[in-house]
Order: sequence, then structure tokens, then C-alpha cells
Amino acid sequence: MLKEKMVRIRHSILGFFAGIIVTYIIILSFYLVNNQAALMLMIFDFLFVSLVFPLDGTFVKKIELLLIGNVIGLLWNSVFSSFSYVAACYFGGFLNVLYMILNPLLNLIWVVSFWSISLSVLASSKRVKVNRLDS
Amino acid sequence: MIVEILEALFLILTFLMAAYLVRHYVFTLAVLNHTSKRKRAAIITRSDAYQPPVSILIPAHNEERVIGRILQGMTKLTYPKDKMQVIVIDDGSTDNTRKIAEGYAKPHNYIEVIHRNQMDGGKGKASALNAGLKQAEGEIIFCFDADYYPQRDIIEKLVAEFTDPKVGAVQGRVTVLNEPQNVVTRLVALERIGGYRVDQQARDSLGLISQFGGTVGGFRRDLLKSLNGWDESILAEDTDLTFRVYLAGYKIRYVNDAECYEEAVENWSDYWKQRYRWAKGHMQCFFKHSLEVLKSSNLRPREKIDGLLLLGVYFMPILVLFSWVIGVPLLLTRSSQWLSMCWVFIPVSLYSFVGNFAPFFEVGIGAYLDGRTRAYWLIPLLIFTFLYNIPICTKALVDLFISKILGKNCNHWDKTVHTGNGNSYIIN
Repeated sequence: MLKEKMVRIRHSILGFFAGIIVTYIIILSFYLVNNQAALMLMIFDFLFVSLVFPLDGTFVKKIELLLIGNVIGLLWNSVFSSFSYVAACYFGGFLNVLYMILNPLLNLIWVVSFWSISLSVLASSKRVKVNRLDS
Repeated sequence: MIVEILEALFLILTFLMAAYLVRHYVFTLAVLNHTSKRKRAAIITRSDAYQPPVSILIPAHNEERVIGRILQGMTKLTYPKDKMQVIVIDDGSTDNTRKIAEGYAKPHNYIEVIHRNQMDGGKGKASALNAGLKQAEGEIIFCFDADYYPQRDIIEKLVAEFTDPKVGAVQGRVTVLNEPQNVVTRLVALERIGGYRVDQQARDSLGLISQFGGTVGGFRRDLLKSLNGWDESILAEDTDLTFRVYLAGYKIRYVNDAECYEEAVENWSDYWKQRYRWAKGHMQCFFKHSLEVLKSSNLRPREKIDGLLLLGVYFMPILVLFSWVIGVPLLLTRSSQWLSMCWVFIPVSLYSFVGNFAPFFEVGIGAYLDGRTRAYWLIPLLIFTFLYNIPICTKALVDLFISKILGKNCNHWDKTVHTGNGNSYIIN
């Protein structure tokens, strides 16, 4: 009973700090990149927390995946926006326009791919758990 | 003025796309909730005592490569054979379908074969099913496509739902048999997971419009007769019947445990033919039933909303394309904050209206719940099936309008060719 309570408190603290980090990343992406990047991260976080967290797997692993996803999102957007600005300097503003149009689509590539990977990680941890129980 | 109109149009389109996304999000949540509840319940109660006489209709037009497989499946069903009537409707076949079916009918007295000559036959599935319905004697009428392979106890699982007098029809689950064949079959399998494991399951548990998928399903014979059977003027006869059942005051139950295995299309050309037929038929249903759904006193408000969204689903790829067309110039000429934010919804929608129109997160959760761990890796590729659906649905709509204007019959049934490759995945 006490152990369960301790675990719950530990998860709450972990969740709180993860929430703060995620919020910082979203704010950072808003100021460093653009509003689309921030919105995409929010969509990813919303879907991840509401749909992946109820699945099997440890809470810590899910938090890890959430944070990794946010960092990847920030890096992905930073790299692409930097690339578009540099390219625009050499090849003209057309590339900036193209980036603006294609940005959400580029963002979705990492969101969907990371979503698939996260499910695989959680499924494999579920398998390990079943194997342990079997043995 | 024009820019303001375009902005308003863009906003409406974004709202529509967001509505579909929210719908699928709610479906996914509902299935997660439903699964955890079932885990707790652990024991599923099923009324095995209810075993009415049933008729199983199998329409077949040039299905020599697969007809033997489903008939073999029929002989292995655990449902009492004295309460079962299997009717193969040889719909003007020019190959050995008739010979193979008769080969099964000889030693099994519950299997019957109806022959339709080439004048009467080959007019489409609805016409063949109506011919079979005339001969059917069972209380419950099931229909299976010739390329399917049923679970042994599928009839018991489906029939159990009819103990509720409000249930007019049932639908079982479709799973792809030849999934490892190639990338097309694998992507179709993912669509099916999203469409059945999550979409259909959620609609059933939320009390919305469960859809009869044209196969692996059954109806009360009295209801079917009172509805005059299948409508031969509609290409999506299954969706049409779904709405007629609901409008008549009955409901359709979805049984996820009742699995049947289908041979999915194996190349993009067959995928085009099949989806084109579905898209056109669905659009016909939209024009036929939309107003009736809105006016119906037999449907609750949430069923009406879900029904309209379901009827309009094949318009979505066209609307996404349309929103790209008007969104790009708007984005270039009027770079406002809200426009840029709305723009995000378009690519999210790209992953949301593929095949059976399930978003990536819905497909992922479905595959997870099914324990299909390797299947996740293909989810990013679903974008290609969506992009492929844009020209399919656009052509279907254009053809539908042209045929309406010219007053021509546009219901040419382009049959899906089955190779029989799925046979190698069955262990006898």
C-alpha cells in the first residue's frame, strides 16, 4: 500500500517535471522556429498523452518517449527552418515560401514515424513482461 | 471580396477536416476504454442456445480460383448443418466456378447452386444477392464474398446478437488473408485494422452507425424482404442497406470476435478499381440518404451526425485537395497567424482519410490492440494510399456528375479479380 503510494507520488513528480520540459520546448519552438512548429508539437503531445499513455508499458518509458519525441520535433523544425533560411539567401525567397507551404507535411513525417516507433517500443516491453511471466 | 470568400471557404474546409479528426480521435479513445473494460470483465457471455435456421449467400462471378476455398470453409463451420443453407449464386460465370460449386453441392446437401445465365447474370453483386434471397429459407440471411474464408464458429458468434429484437443486422470483422504478399496487401491490411478494430468497434460501443460492409454479415430475413432486398441501382449496396436498416428503426451490431479472412487486392490497378467502385457507390448513397438521415425520427442526434459524416467520407480526399488549391495562394497573399495555424490541419488530414479513412493514430492503436507489432512500421507509408485516393475519389465524383447530366446508367460493376494466392496462407 505504502509502496504503491510512493510510486504514485514519484510518477506525479516525474509527470510534473516532464510537463514543464515539454512546455519549455513548445515555447522554444514558437520563438526559435514558428507557430506551426509549436502547434504541431502540441498536436503530437496531445495525441501521445491521451492515446499512448493508457497502453501497457512503464510510466517512465512513456515519459522518456514523450520527451524524446519533443526534442526530435524541436531539432527537426530547427534544422529545416535553418536550412530554408540559408537556402533562401543563396537561391532567393522562393525556398522560404516552399518551406512555409510544405512545413506541416515535413513535420508530419517525424510525428507519424515517431508514433510508430513508440508503439513498437511499448509493444516490445509488453512482450518482455509476458516472457518474464511465462518463465 | 474574392479573397474574403476564399478565406471563408478555407475556414469551412478546415472545420470539416477537424470534425473528421475529432470523430476518429473519439473513436480511438472509445476503443481503448472498451478494451480495458473487457479486460476487467474477462468472461464474455454468449448465447449459444439461440440457433435459428440460417441461409448463407455466396455470389460468385468467375471465381474459380477462390470458390473452393470458401465452400471448404462452409463445410467446416460448427453451426448445425441441419439449420444451415448455403446458396452459391453462380452469376453468369464463364470459367469453372459452376463446376467447382456443384462438386461441393453433391456430397453436402445443405449447399445449393443457383445458375444465372450470361443474360441475367454479371450485373453486379446486388443483383446476384437478390436472386439468392428468393431461394433463401433461413430466418437469418448471411452473405459472404467468394474470396473470404470464415472462422469455424463465426455463425454462432454473429447469430447471438439477434437475440435482441432491435438488432436488424450484424457485421463481423474482416482480416486480410494474404497480407504478407506485397506492400499493397500490407497497406490494405493496415486500413482494415483501422476500419474494423477501431472504427467499427467504436461505433458499436458508442451506439452510432455500425456499418454493414457487404460481406461477413447477416440480416433478419423479414427485415430484408420488407426493405425489398439489395438496391441494384447503387454500387455501394452495403452502405445503402446499412442506412435503410437504421432508417427502418433497427440497428446493426458489430462483432469483433467473428473474424473472416479476405483476399485483398494485390496491385495498385485492382486497388483503383475497387476503391473507385466504393467511392462512387458511397457518393450515390450520400445523395440518396443525406436528407432522410436528417429528417428521420428513428435516429438520435449523434447517429444523425455520425451518419452524415460516414456518408460524406469519400468526399474528404477531394476537399483536402481543394483546400490545398485555395490555401496555397491565400498563404502567399495573406500571411496571417490564423491562416498559418489552419494550414497545419491539412497535412494532418492527409494521414486521416486513407482507404477506410482512419488516421495514423487510429491505425496504430488498432495494430497495437491486435498485437501486430511489425505492422506499425508501415504506418508512415499510408500517405501514399491517401494520395492515391485523391484521383480515385475525384474521378468517381466527376463521372457521377457526368452520368447524371447525360442521364446515363453509371453502374458498371468492375469486378475485383481474385488470384487465389490467399490459399497458400490457410493451414488445413
